[in-house]
Amino acid sequence: MKNTHHPLGLAAATVSVAALALTGCSSGGADDGAAAAIEAPFAAETPAASGPLDRATWMLGGEPTTLDADIDATTADDTILANVCDRLMRVQPDLSLGQGIASAAEWADDTHLVFTIRQDAVFHDGSPVSTADVLWSLQRHAAEGAAESDEYANVVAMEQTAADEITITTSQPDAILLQAMAGDGGIVWNPRVIEAEGDAFGGPGAASACSGPYEVTAWEAGSSLTITKFADYWDPEVDALTDEVVFRWAEESAIANSLTTGEAQGAYLENAGAATSFAGSTDVSVFQGPSTNAWVLEATDRGALGDERIRKALSLALDREGIATAAFGGLAKPWKTPVGSGAWGYEAEAFEAAYDALEGAPAKPGEDDLAAAEALVAEAGGPEETIVVASNGSSSHNVIANALVAAAKSIGLEAEILVVPQVQYGDFYSDAELRGQADLWPDEYYISKNDPLGFYKNGKSDASVNFTGFADPEYDELVAAGYAATDDAERAEITIELQQRWVDHAVWIPVVATPATLIMANDVTGVPSSAAYIYTPWAASLGSAER
Amino acid sequence: MSHAIRKLAGMILTLVIASFIIFAAMFAAPGDPVTFLIGNPENLTPERIASVRAQYHLDEPLLAQYWHWASGALTGDFGQSFQYHQPVSALLAARVPVTLALVGYAAVILAVVGIGLGVLAAVRRGRATDTLVVGGTTLAASIPSFVLGIAFVALFAVQLRWFPVAGAGSGGVDRLVSLTLPALTLSITALAIVSRVTRQSMIEQFTSEHVEAARATGLRERFIVRDHVLRGSWGPIITMVALVIASMIAGTVAVETVFGLSGVGSLLVDAINTHDFPVVQAVLLFMVVAYMVVTTIVDLLLPVLDPRIDRRKVTA
Repeated sequence: MKNTHHPLGLAAATVSVAALALTGCSSGGADDGAAAAIEAPFAAETPAASGPLDRATWMLGGEPTTLDADIDATTADDTILANVCDRLMRVQPDLSLGQGIASAAEWADDTHLVFTIRQDAVFHDGSPVSTADVLWSLQRHAAEGAAESDEYANVVAMEQTAADEITITTSQPDAILLQAMAGDGGIVWNPRVIEAEGDAFGGPGAASACSGPYEVTAWEAGSSLTITKFADYWDPEVDALTDEVVFRWAEESAIANSLTTGEAQGAYLENAGAATSFAGSTDVSVFQGPSTNAWVLEATDRGALGDERIRKALSLALDREGIATAAFGGLAKPWKTPVGSGAWGYEAEAFEAAYDALEGAPAKPGEDDLAAAEALVAEAGGPEETIVVASNGSSSHNVIANALVAAAKSIGLEAEILVVPQVQYGDFYSDAELRGQADLWPDEYYISKNDPLGFYKNGKSDASVNFTGFADPEYDELVAAGYAATDDAERAEITIELQQRWVDHAVWIPVVATPATLIMANDVTGVPSSAAYIYTPWAASLGSAER
Repeated sequence: MSHAIRKLAGMILTLVIASFIIFAAMFAAPGDPVTFLIGNPENLTPERIASVRAQYHLDEPLLAQYWHWASGALTGDFGQSFQYHQPVSALLAARVPVTLALVGYAAVILAVVGIGLGVLAAVRRGRATDTLVVGGTTLAASIPSFVLGIAFVALFAVQLRWFPVAGAGSGGVDRLVSLTLPALTLSITALAIVSRVTRQSMIEQFTSEHVEAARATGLRERFIVRDHVLRGSWGPIITMVALVIASMIAGTVAVETVFGLSGVGSLLVDAINTHDFPVVQAVLLFMVVAYMVVTTIVDLLLPVLDPRIDRRKVTA
């Protein structure tokens, strides 16, 4: 499970806001990124490519930190590794689960997951990918302190049980384990390369230890990283059209400028609002697609927010449409749950129907919503104390915090904003003393697996991010049942029940979903526009667009 | 000789004190490095936090932590970056050249244009040109460098496409072109002080006895300015240019961010934001050392330029 937050430097944040104002391509001026709403198609993929490309330049939000995913993986690291490393399973562009190095995977019983390992894959150094190599990789991921070791929390044994078979034994049913094998916890490494490289592995200049459709051929620390098509890739379905992709990195406004001038052909943005400067552009298009990311207001047990009626009242009174426009230039969607539609990696129709039926988080509060909210406040005894909402000073945080204050005042509650330094903001998750200073803090939350159960487990009474003191024994039992349900339809039904309970108790207050956002020059196309770019070999489908 | 040893000892002492102050400041800064080291909020369990603290010695008192760092630094090991998981020395080695090239380029522009404008203003003192130079450079000095940088990018890179919008180029001419806008941005805001010092220092010389004497011999004004006025003015001019260059090394942060340059300035911002102690420590010390080197060079250079100058003038 991965969830790394990248605080933007204040300087950078200031610069990008000012840049939007000065580059003259934003009609909204400098009022904190509020620009004209922009139309971006919402789909999992961009139109298919029609021809090959010699090379493309792609922008990242930051320099890759290390290509050893067992140490750490930032979004930039993953955007590259997705093309370079194969995994046991593979995330498809529509975020459903497909096959990777494992040609089949099956739960033999409640606690035995059996993988059939394909025998025709080769590493970039030409050596075959053996079943033993796969097992070695899984053990490396599961080792104490490894970044993805939490995915293996329920694993008690991993063994090669036939020439092309690996069996994982778990202590309890774990329906999400299979999903994890499509992420960084399922990467298949070349043990010989990693052992030879030692401490240098993962850094600039280290040899490739993977078998993906591209290999890293150059990493000029501080300036660029190049991946080149791997000629002997095993999967005929993945035939890369682009020979070479050069990655560069810069902060938001420089990324936008690079696309504007044609110096780069594309970028997956970490902040959707940064795409607003392309409204009406003739050379660059904006695409959006499903992701699990959602902005939420996380409540603490400090004061009034410990009462779920107050949480529900605030949720009813929050102007999500206003937030989507002011903070994200219309590139975010008012949302009723704390996890985006990208989590619906299976049984999508069932999840969507359940989502549509949810109430309690209107896009724009109507009179009925406000009346219901006021009734809840009255029922809770109209708390006197001022509600404190935190912000780290970034424009998105400020807009959401201000909207919360406005929502509180509209239903007769007092609220104020507490500004916490950017470098300290993440400590809300680890520092009880800091949580004691605020009732709520806005944050963007996402999960790395496309299964809402992977989020709703956070409502268990002993979950590490359940800070409001929400405790419901039935909920806890449902989470366990969900993990035991390896049948997708059954698990979806349980998860939908969990979602209903989470929303009923407003454990966190949902704000907006922020879809995956891609900006791409009009002369190239083909890549996924969903959050799949984190794990799937997206560059392999990049090519030229029809002229 | 003894002077050199004294000077060296002073530098080393300065470095030790600076390294401790930086370390203590990072230690006292708000925010917990463990939050960044673990990353995923769902993994921030008390056990995991404790084990990561122990792994990075974050559970030890300030002095013990400082000793861990200092004993490594004495052997040339500045530790591993928390964020990049590479030796800090490797990170710096990749980024120092960009910053030095940028500062060097800016220094050349600054020296040529700044001194040139100062000379122009001094020769035309009291006339319209003088007022224009003084007023224009003062106005330029009042613009924050990142605002100027953004305006430059918008105009010369995005609208006119004369320069790339981001990055430091791949070396040679490409690098020179890529660093032009950032170097201009960095130098323009400092032009005022250099041209002002040049002008002031020359005006003092104009009224001095040796210049009056030279005038009396009927020398042409051009030669008087070159051989008598400028010659006597070099001391303060060089000193000021050097101090400005030294401060530029620490002042590239905003410019590097705007122009997407991976230099030590952007590395520093990034490291402070992620509590990457070893990197912050190394970058700031690099800046301190660079400052010392520049001022020392000036100390050595001034007596050569002007024998009347006492050699302990700059770094008193």
